[in-house]
Amino acid sequence: MPSTTVQSLSRATTATFEELALLFPEHELSPEQAAAPLDVAVSVEFRGPLRGRLVLRASSVILPSIAANMLGEGASREPPLQRDALGEIANVICGNVLPAIAGVEAVFHLSAPYLHDGIDGVSRDADEPMARVTFGVEDGRAETVLYLFSDVESVAPASQGAVSAA
Amino acid sequence: MAFNVLVVDDSAVMRQMVVRTLRMSGLPLGTVHEAGNGEEGLFVLQDQWVDLLLLDINMPVMNGEEMLRRLRAAPETASLPVIVVSTEGSETRLAALHALGAAVVRKPFAPETLRDTILRITGVTDAEYYGPVTVTSDDSDF
Repeated sequence: MPSTTVQSLSRATTATFEELALLFPEHELSPEQAAAPLDVAVSVEFRGPLRGRLVLRASSVILPSIAANMLGEGASREPPLQRDALGEIANVICGNVLPAIAGVEAVFHLSAPYLHDGIDGVSRDADEPMARVTFGVEDGRAETVLYLFSDVESVAPASQGAVSAA
Repeated sequence: MAFNVLVVDDSAVMRQMVVRTLRMSGLPLGTVHEAGNGEEGLFVLQDQWVDLLLLDINMPVMNGEEMLRRLRAAPETASLPVIVVSTEGSETRLAALHALGAAVVRKPFAPETLRDTILRITGVTDAEYYGPVTVTSDDSDF
């Protein structure tokens, strides 16, 4: 399950960045991208047959491009809109990855995207990510992490993978 | 024909993005109304004439499925063209939406996907949308 979960997360992340933000994830990070800090984070919680959280961390340097492509040039200079746009990306990734890992009959309820101050506090101490995808975007990078909360009985043992978004 | 459109989504960003996509699509737009949940959307429909509803599903207060059920139960909105624009991937839920006469565009979506779905569900033909096509060449064999 972990490898297929990673692949599902990778596909959902790539498709969302490409179609919603018109940005193309790069699976081989340049030194500049690899050095860019992941200094903003948003998360979406979900409940249903599985319960957990999807976290999207990104370099703030890529936010103006995301906002401009999604909302127009005017939005690219407004930090609140930039973060809201990132939140919508997280929401769409989450909505697309859940049917891939839980089946198309499963019905989930997603919370509104939560914008974090910094990247601390986006996961509980005991949580281990089920899947993680890291990729380069323009002059920065982003990382999508899927957590399944361990108090769900049917969840397989947590493990993590790291692949690039192809 | 200019479309009066109602966009119902709890995300202001997504509403803005949908409206931007509509404007970029070249569709003839009249007034574009916005609402943050199904209940607000029903209030808008009480006072405004709308030709097309673009509806999210996961929303607080009243979700899109409930709003759609109420629309179909009211004679004046029973046949209103509705496109659900959502991340919803559950086939169970999608089947329920189709049964209520809604078309579905899943996020993320390409602008042309939304445009083509609007043309299909509103019954506007390509000729009406693009205008009549004329052939100017006089050496055509067909």
